[in-house]
Amino acid sequence: MTRLFAKHQALISGFVSFAVLLLIWQLAVDLGYIKAFFVSSPSRAATEFWRQLQSGEVRDNMTVSLYEFAVGLSLAVAVGGLLGVLAGWSRTIEYILEPFIWFKYSSPTIAFYPIFIAWLGLGEPTIIAIAFIFALTPIYANTLSGIKNVDQDLVRAAKSFGARPHDLFLKVALPGSVPILIAGLRLAVGRALTGVIAAELFGATAGLGYSIAYYGQKLKTNEMMVSLVLVVILGVVFTQLLSLLEAATDSWRPNADR
Amino acid sequence: MTVTDQIAPRRTFAIGPVLDRYYGAGVSTVSVLLFLLLWEFAAEWNWINIRFTSQPSQVFRAAVVLFQTPVFYHHAWVSFSEFVLGFALALVVSIPVGLVLGTSRRVRLFVEPPLMALYTAPRLALLPILIVWLGIGMASKVAVVFLGAVFPIIVNTIAGVRDADQRLLQAARAFGANQIDIFLKVLIPGSLPAILMGVRLGIGRGLLSVIVGEMFVSEAGIGYQLMTYGQGMHMNNLLVYAFVVSFFGYGLTMSVRVLEDRVRSWRSVA
Repeated sequence: MTRLFAKHQALISGFVSFAVLLLIWQLAVDLGYIKAFFVSSPSRAATEFWRQLQSGEVRDNMTVSLYEFAVGLSLAVAVGGLLGVLAGWSRTIEYILEPFIWFKYSSPTIAFYPIFIAWLGLGEPTIIAIAFIFALTPIYANTLSGIKNVDQDLVRAAKSFGARPHDLFLKVALPGSVPILIAGLRLAVGRALTGVIAAELFGATAGLGYSIAYYGQKLKTNEMMVSLVLVVILGVVFTQLLSLLEAATDSWRPNADR
Repeated sequence: MTVTDQIAPRRTFAIGPVLDRYYGAGVSTVSVLLFLLLWEFAAEWNWINIRFTSQPSQVFRAAVVLFQTPVFYHHAWVSFSEFVLGFALALVVSIPVGLVLGTSRRVRLFVEPPLMALYTAPRLALLPILIVWLGIGMASKVAVVFLGAVFPIIVNTIAGVRDADQRLLQAARAFGANQIDIFLKVLIPGSLPAILMGVRLGIGRGLLSVIVGEMFVSEAGIGYQLMTYGQGMHMNNLLVYAFVVSFFGYGLTMSVRVLEDRVRSWRSVA
């Protein structure tokens, strides 16, 4: 029993900690310390979740948000990856892109949201564009540093065995930088999700963010809580999956110090 | 838990020392100038619709006018104070919490799961409920900034404390340092670069939160103005506000980055 506990300690304590939080939340409402109007309660939210599941609301909102998320993220991977490879290949290209990337990196890009609305109209295209923009920087930055941090000994060894540039790229640079690329992807997933939700808060006709904003404006906390919890779960699941992938791709390395 | 955090777009130094730096700065400057010129003349020659894109010269003129009106400073001040309040609150909470969690494995086991859940989830989704709780005024924005900034700092502080150099800890113990000494003289200085990285990420999140919060619903602030001008299709003024926020974020992030580099270089020399 104690060995079982030691092995799954993190899992068990995590479970306990969420259970305690839910219990406190439920009791605080039931015993009248906090009004359910403000915070809903686990039982109310669960009932409401069941209703939205039956009515198809959950499915619709999830489909819309996930679709926008997937398109935005894929675009970011394609464009960010390409730019990253180009910048890693030529210093001049890196310098050309640098000011824009830094600018994008440190400014709240959402400030340009109304311009996207003007260009692309309210709704899906704008939300995808925002998700794309949010996710672009980590992909670019990690691709670039993945390529730049390739072990130069390996490169020299490959060259001396007659590797051509595309061999170097496919067989040395790319495998060598997989973990850092996946780390970039993990960050990008979080950003893209934030982008979708933030953009949906302002202007959408469906989606998790829309549902949160819609019920929020009607002060319906129970209904709002359903999508809110779903968003949190999506974030956790995606990030965990990519962390696992990150660990898996890094494990073959003899001195994986991360 | 490993926080391989955002690898910031790298600033390239060295290799062909000074010359390379000048070359880089030169190419970057030219690239920005070319972009502005292209934008200016593409609008001039009607390749793009000026109504949607505006033009650098027009934005500049709008900025000159706007910077002379008290309205601008009013909104900037509202956003600025929301950001500063929320961020200060985040700093006060996150660093001690991060230090404690970094040192105590037992506490961490129970607090980390919900913490990580909130760290990875888009916390902006909490905005509508914060507004139900705190109203549409400044309080809800301060809260959303706080939530945006607090988690990256906590998580990075934990990572910083955990990655503290074991040899230094052993050396300190060997020379008879007590817990407080170790905390103050080894752990805190040792985790400073990680904390600063968290602060830098927190700044980005915090700014984003203010703007999103104000754009969502508010009575004043830069986000509010962005929405107003956006709905009225006043691209010039809209861009002025967007650039003001962006440069503010850029400046702040860069300052922390310089600080980070300094702390790091002091460490690697040692």
